[in-house]
Amino acid sequence: MTTLAIETKDLGRIYKLRGSKKETRKELVALQDVNLTVNKGELFGLLGPNGAGKTTLIKILTTLLSPTSGWAKVAGADVQREPELVRPKINMVSGGESSGYGLLTVRENLWMFSQFYGVPSKEANERIEALLEMIGMKDRMHTKSSDLSTGLRQKMNIVRGFLTEPEVLFLDEPTLGLDVGAMRDVRKFVLEWLRANKERTLLLTTHYMMEADELCDRVAIINKGRVLACDTPTALKQRLQKDAIFEIQTSPLNGLSQQMLVDQPEVTKAAIVETETGAKLNLSLVEEAALARVINLFTQKDVKVLNLTKREPTLEDVFIDLVGRSMAEEEDSGQSE
Amino acid sequence: MDNLNNPLTRPYSRKDTGVWLFLKTIVARAYPRIVGQQRELSWVFFEILLPMLAVCAYVFVYRALNAPEEYVGFVVMGGAMTAFWLNVLWSMSSQLYWEKQQGNLSLYIMAPNSMMAILLGMAVGGMFATVLRAVAVTLFGTFAFSVKFEVVSYLQLFAVFTLTMIALYGMGMMMASAFLLFGREAWHIANLAQEPIFLASGFYFPIKFLPFWAAAGASLLPLTLGMDAMRQLVFSSEFPIGFLDVATEIWILAGLSVLFLVASKYLLAYVEKLAVREGRITESRR
Amino acid sequence: MQTSTSWRSFRMAAWLGWVIESNWTDPFLFAVYSIVKPLSGAAILVIMYGVITQGAYDSALFPYIYLGNAFYIYVGAVMTGVSWAVVDDRELYKTLKYMYIAPINIPIYLLGRGGARFIVGSIAVLITILTGVFFLNVNINLAEVNWGLFIVSLTLGIVMLALIGLMLAGFTLITARHEGFIGEAVAAALYIFSGAVFPLDVLPEWLRPIGYFMPTTYWLELLRRSLVGDVAQAFPTLSQFSNVEILGVMIGLSLLFSAASVWIFKVCDHIARENGMIDRTTNY
Repeated sequence: MTTLAIETKDLGRIYKLRGSKKETRKELVALQDVNLTVNKGELFGLLGPNGAGKTTLIKILTTLLSPTSGWAKVAGADVQREPELVRPKINMVSGGESSGYGLLTVRENLWMFSQFYGVPSKEANERIEALLEMIGMKDRMHTKSSDLSTGLRQKMNIVRGFLTEPEVLFLDEPTLGLDVGAMRDVRKFVLEWLRANKERTLLLTTHYMMEADELCDRVAIINKGRVLACDTPTALKQRLQKDAIFEIQTSPLNGLSQQMLVDQPEVTKAAIVETETGAKLNLSLVEEAALARVINLFTQKDVKVLNLTKREPTLEDVFIDLVGRSMAEEEDSGQSE
Repeated sequence: MDNLNNPLTRPYSRKDTGVWLFLKTIVARAYPRIVGQQRELSWVFFEILLPMLAVCAYVFVYRALNAPEEYVGFVVMGGAMTAFWLNVLWSMSSQLYWEKQQGNLSLYIMAPNSMMAILLGMAVGGMFATVLRAVAVTLFGTFAFSVKFEVVSYLQLFAVFTLTMIALYGMGMMMASAFLLFGREAWHIANLAQEPIFLASGFYFPIKFLPFWAAAGASLLPLTLGMDAMRQLVFSSEFPIGFLDVATEIWILAGLSVLFLVASKYLLAYVEKLAVREGRITESRR
Repeated sequence: MQTSTSWRSFRMAAWLGWVIESNWTDPFLFAVYSIVKPLSGAAILVIMYGVITQGAYDSALFPYIYLGNAFYIYVGAVMTGVSWAVVDDRELYKTLKYMYIAPINIPIYLLGRGGARFIVGSIAVLITILTGVFFLNVNINLAEVNWGLFIVSLTLGIVMLALIGLMLAGFTLITARHEGFIGEAVAAALYIFSGAVFPLDVLPEWLRPIGYFMPTTYWLELLRRSLVGDVAQAFPTLSQFSNVEILGVMIGLSLLFSAASVWIFKVCDHIARENGMIDRTTNY
């Protein structure tokens, strides 16, 4: 009996794109050579910018999309060859979902989805009530879902995902649209749910580094269809621990470029974000003492230091370390391409 | 709180599979249809009352042409059976197009239920309105136009109707696979097919007046032979109105029922695999 | 500025409507769709007629039925084109709310969206009439056509239908999406009262006033008279009225229906805004 909830080997997916003229067909490599293993009971995070391939990977693992190369197994069954064995054991919640039927109430929509998994009606209704209470929606149980706000609709969808007691639950940016309190409640519940049954597994994709850091046992960083790193958040951050990381707010840069900073021998990584008042720099230095030489460079360019903080590496830093730029910059460059 | 007493994490006593799951799915998917119709009653006007007037139009066309009175009965029957055809086409098959747009389709595919059960649930859910429309048209036509029914055999009539429905809904499930794969294109093709099917199925006139091979080809549509047999069973006429005799049509309908049900099961499974391979389940451009 | 907003709304909506209606398939299949659908509808009546009259296509009733049915295609097409835009935008593409908050004129926008179906409908009408002329002995002598009357009637009729479609769009705003198209359901029901395929005299006496109250009755009569002249006047229903009189009645009734349609749309629009229906989905 396998201890793995999810396993992929050389998983790849290529989309054929159709342009406005039929002859201009292009291919988009959404995933390539993805090798992942997720243990039972793990809360596994998938971190990456928009267009990295996170949703494509989830679609493959949830039997909605076939891979074009490699294979994947979920709960011990091949997603392509044995989807009927996979489906009773999984569920998925996506951010910004609009599933269900507007004319039905919250309770009715949830009951309906529970029936597709063979859950006894009475138990389903009890669970629905308990889950709605947990997530702060019990008073809206009899509201038609077309009358819900976006955030409440998302809460309903989250309940839908947990309602069927899946062995493996896929959460694709599930906290989109939720307020801070609800996000906290959901995170608390997720941990409790996993603790209650060691066989349950959760794969979470998120943009929020803090969320992945706080919740996930392990995190895979994915970009342009490839998994760049996969380890515990602590271990990933420890890769950068040898470097001293500084966050510096400055006045306008007066021509000081990222290349100029990286050309300094002691600077291993530099990311610059222009702000209204100047710029924000994230610098990784070989040693703390190198900071003085960097400040000297600022002085030469007449750049004033407004604020300087030394900080512990975050997953964002790990991402920059792997990709060479921040997640926001990576998304922007993806859009302009 | 321990796992077993915590209502949030207590495991379910069971999860049904097989036939029970199939039936549960039908009930669950029929539920939004049934409840939706109770909560929003405008369909009574647009899908019951207005169609009754539409049927009247064809009656008056025949009256304008001084057609024999049994033709009025043909129109009334055609109008009633139209309800089932429209239920199959627009409330079942093409519904998958709407489900895809809304995001429900991926949840249906991902769940362990059968797509056939989902489709049947849609059809069953719409059955109340469909039957109401058919009955309303029949009763209205009967009383407004003094249509006379003279049933030759209730047993045969029941058999014809039942087999026609089974075959029709089986065919509908096959068509649903087209909507699964093609989305908007299938929607428009279904729209395109309405009038040719009304023509070929003999909704408003017996198909024996079509060229033989046209009528024979049209007989693949369950409603064609179904209506042809029902006309022979409920209307008396001075001239023969059937394309084939009733017994032959019953056998053919039985064959079509089996054929379409079996074909729909395999076609739905095949097309689902194809759609998953091509990534059509969740794309929104089609 | 007001004119500019309306024109902008209409132009953009017409473009959008055409792109949506025409980009679902390749041109060949689109052409097949445009030809087969109307011809099948016409064939139903042609066969019904042929069966009963033993093929008496020379009778005056046949062109009456045929042309009435051909032009009636516009009724369903235009009314559906305008009203279905609400369903498309609200439930399918979920853009209606963005149209509402944009600086455009919503009724004009919806009318523009109906433009594409008008074009497709026109193709259908033309194909149906040409088939009748070339294959079914519908005698239209181009030299004897009253083109002025034809163009004026057709234009006024389309505008009238579009505004009735606006009324249906209003109803669509405040009702759920059901099985069929509201526009086609209403068109099918009006079939009986428009003198489209049989003279109003065939109706029981107590139903005829409804037909006399429909602007479509006079519209179809004018189109038939402009194209086939004597044949159209062979039936007694409106034979005592001159073209000018019928045109006047049609304009009067069209104005009445149009005013009612605009008012009903406004009321429905108000109800929809009050109840948050602009962005709801009602799929079930």
